[in-house]
Amino acid sequence: MAFLKPFLAFFRKTKLEGELDDELQFHLEMRTQEHLAAGMSAEEARLAALRALGNLGSLKARTRDTWGFAWLEALLQDVRYGLRVLAKNPGFTVAAVMTLALGMGANTAIFSLANAFMFRPLPVKDAERLTVVAVQSKTDSDPGVISYLDHLEYRAGSPAVFTGMTGYAMSFTGLGYQGHADRLLVSYVPSNFFAMLGLHAALGRVINSGEGDAPKTGAVVVLGHSYWEKRFGGDPGVIGHTVTLDGNAATVIGVVPEEFHGPYNLVEMDAYAPLGMLGFGPDSGFFTSRADRDVHVLATLKPGVSVEQAQAALNLIGQRLAQQYPQADQGQRVRVFPEQIARPEPAVGDAMPLVVTVFFVMVGLVLAVACLNVANLLLARAATREKEMSVRAALGAGRMRLLRQLLIESMLLALAGGVGGAIAGNWVCRLLNGLRPLGGVPVRVAVAFDWRVFAYVAAVALAAGILAGLVPALRASRIDLNLALREGGRGLVGEPKRNWLRNGLVIAQVAGSLVVLVAAGLFTRSLTRAESIDLGFDPHNVLNVGFDPVLQGYDQPRAEAFFRELLRRARTLPGVESASLAYSIPLGIYNDGSRVYAEGQPLPASERVPGAGLNCVSPDYFTTLRMHMLEGRAFTDADTSTSQPVAIVNQTMAARLWPHHDAVGERFTYKSASGPYVTVVGVVHDPKTTGLLDVPGMFFYVPQTQNYKSTHVLQVRTSGPPESLTAAFEGLVRDLDPNMPVYDLMTMEQSVGGANGYFLFKAGAAFTGALGGLGLLLAIVGVYGVVSYTASRRRHEIGIRMALGAQRGSVFGLVIRQAAILVGAGVCIGLLAALACTRILASLLVGVSSYDPATYAGGTVLLVATALLACYIPARRATKVDPMVALRYE
Amino acid sequence: MGKEQLLGTLDLLVLKTLSRGPMHGYGIVQRIQQVSEDELRVEEGSLYPALHRMEQAGWIGADWKDSETGRRAKYYRLTAAGRKRLAQEKENWSRVAEAVAKVLRFA
Repeated sequence: MAFLKPFLAFFRKTKLEGELDDELQFHLEMRTQEHLAAGMSAEEARLAALRALGNLGSLKARTRDTWGFAWLEALLQDVRYGLRVLAKNPGFTVAAVMTLALGMGANTAIFSLANAFMFRPLPVKDAERLTVVAVQSKTDSDPGVISYLDHLEYRAGSPAVFTGMTGYAMSFTGLGYQGHADRLLVSYVPSNFFAMLGLHAALGRVINSGEGDAPKTGAVVVLGHSYWEKRFGGDPGVIGHTVTLDGNAATVIGVVPEEFHGPYNLVEMDAYAPLGMLGFGPDSGFFTSRADRDVHVLATLKPGVSVEQAQAALNLIGQRLAQQYPQADQGQRVRVFPEQIARPEPAVGDAMPLVVTVFFVMVGLVLAVACLNVANLLLARAATREKEMSVRAALGAGRMRLLRQLLIESMLLALAGGVGGAIAGNWVCRLLNGLRPLGGVPVRVAVAFDWRVFAYVAAVALAAGILAGLVPALRASRIDLNLALREGGRGLVGEPKRNWLRNGLVIAQVAGSLVVLVAAGLFTRSLTRAESIDLGFDPHNVLNVGFDPVLQGYDQPRAEAFFRELLRRARTLPGVESASLAYSIPLGIYNDGSRVYAEGQPLPASERVPGAGLNCVSPDYFTTLRMHMLEGRAFTDADTSTSQPVAIVNQTMAARLWPHHDAVGERFTYKSASGPYVTVVGVVHDPKTTGLLDVPGMFFYVPQTQNYKSTHVLQVRTSGPPESLTAAFEGLVRDLDPNMPVYDLMTMEQSVGGANGYFLFKAGAAFTGALGGLGLLLAIVGVYGVVSYTASRRRHEIGIRMALGAQRGSVFGLVIRQAAILVGAGVCIGLLAALACTRILASLLVGVSSYDPATYAGGTVLLVATALLACYIPARRATKVDPMVALRYE
Repeated sequence: MGKEQLLGTLDLLVLKTLSRGPMHGYGIVQRIQQVSEDELRVEEGSLYPALHRMEQAGWIGADWKDSETGRRAKYYRLTAAGRKRLAQEKENWSRVAEAVAKVLRFA
């Protein structure tokens, strides 16, 4: 317990003090006796002995410093003194603490978010070794889900590198209980899921080993904790009850622990069921087709095995699969990501570190600007404290002691700032929590204040304290005693040099905040550009509502009757121009897709069958969304289940499958390689379907009458604001069936603001915009502070100038010129720094170059204009100097 | 050591003095003065901080004992670590002294 020694010694302090006194007393007595023996008088002998020892106070102080606890005692003393000094200057203290709190608040917010998104591990066994395994196919550039069959092979072939591999397939499922159905997000999992993740049931049991791994077995369901509380009021009696999952009976066997929200970060999973349950659904090929990719794969690395080693082992399996099943797996590349960087999807695994870096650099810059501000405040105050420092130095305080004292003061400021920053950051997080995309998925952003955030804030506060305090402290503690004391406290210590330093700090602030401003400008421009992207449809004045008759146990004929009646009633609503049904909405959260085979174009066995997106729609769909038909016709009521099967393809599909001639009249098949064939009757302008930035892929539409799907969205185009129709719209479905679950009732504009639409652009622009504003504010305060400080120090000079006939205008110019030089230098450095830094943003921007001249110019103008405006005040004040007063003041 | 104390020699002198047996602060001053025939005078103001520093470093230990005058005094003694330190300091010193001597002879 060596580190305890100083603390123990601290409590023995009085004893040690007494001993030192005794020791010195003994020395003095011996020396006095020696002098007496040499014939001095008693008084002379005593004084001579004292003189030989020198300054007793200083001697004791230096001796005390060698005791182990000296630092502790001095620290407490310094903290007490520092608190007194700060309390005596409330104005300064509040300004400094607020500035630091703003800078640290932004940092806390970003860190809390990054923590929630990335750093906080899943509450599962060996979370630090958990990885996501994903495949990247030749046609899709993003790594993602794996087919069930391939996942079995990867699992069987990798015990050398993984202790376990499991997975989950997410699906919206209707859970019916006592006549009422909810639409849930359900994870269908292999039976090793809970065991591998080390999860035990909070209530009942989880899925047993081997339970429900085969198709059409395992009719059980484990509820998510929050769904259990929401739907069943946390009633333990629900265990053993029978519910229906998409109409199939299943027994509730348990509830997962409260802290487990599902394996898919950011989403609250409602329930878990065995994979076998998927077998009860319509035959989808999940268990039999390698082209049917639906499984998110998780694997736990063996201790000591690296991601790269696991990657290499899986590569071998991937190559074998490609040889064995060229049809489905050729050109496929398997990837292993640490689970934390593959959130929410492995697709971000390559970009996420960059995004996080960018945000951390931005908040880091804002904090640096805040620290520089406080450093400047401290420097200004050091000038007024020279006398105090000189007196302390004269009384025997060493330079280290003064330095420590000053650093402790800045640390106290930083700690107070850290507390303020934590509060501000927490508040920002709550705001950001409210910014979640609307509807669809049960999003869970739990931005909580855990120990990681606390440790981060503490570390940032410490760094800020040193950053803001070190230079001023070094400066202030370097004191020429004679000079300072003699000059009676008029700041003379290295005056030109100090101005140089203060100016340097302001220039750095301006430069730093310009970099943040430019980045904010680029993100904002990027949003504007994204908003002007041609979506291929018109999202204005469209209202959507989702429902799924299967959740209510409807069979196909009943559902189709329901659709027809719903459409008929919707068209009669006042203010509705047209109404249509679709399986999915563009830029929504789910989509259907299929392999397509053009008639008469057999593919060589080595080539992969191309895939295309697919939507099932009713006749007025293209009118409702105002999509542009390039050729042919839209669907009509004459396209029924008994008429000729037809399809409408997008431009990309027409060009890819039939590059040399008109697509209309051609046939293709999407259900199997051999038919049935559908005839292309129209070509539509490429709409954005999966993501704003996606290069349009092949996409086609079939009449809903010819491809039954239960999940549906009713869309209407309104003549007025669509929001006014929401109540009537919801009532429409409820009138037809009061128990029909209705979800995602929102306007198309709200919908395209979702996760696959503008959400990330808006969130990015809002956040960087706020940071840019903050950086700007802090820099302006800095410029204002140093300019008005210098102006007030130059009162005397200005007074003389005016006494000698200087005009107000030239005095005004004098002050403004200083500001202009500072800001100009800062802008030049800032522009260069921004050019160097923003290059890394390039991949995150849409339709705007990272060198966008307009953004650079805009940021510069904004900064220069506000800075000079802020300096107008001290400049005006300087022109009001009364020469008589200024001169007499001296 | 006159007025200009040679930097860093105080530790060496104190350790060497204590290698002959335990001694109190005043005794150390006297002893160094005697042996050096009044050439070296330890600055008393620096002695006590140095003693306490070396005590903290573990080179010397201390005990309160009755002195020759019957009054209780703090006697310092060399520890094993102190003996090692003394050897080092001695070695350093001879090297420096030799080097200075060479310069005086040849430079």
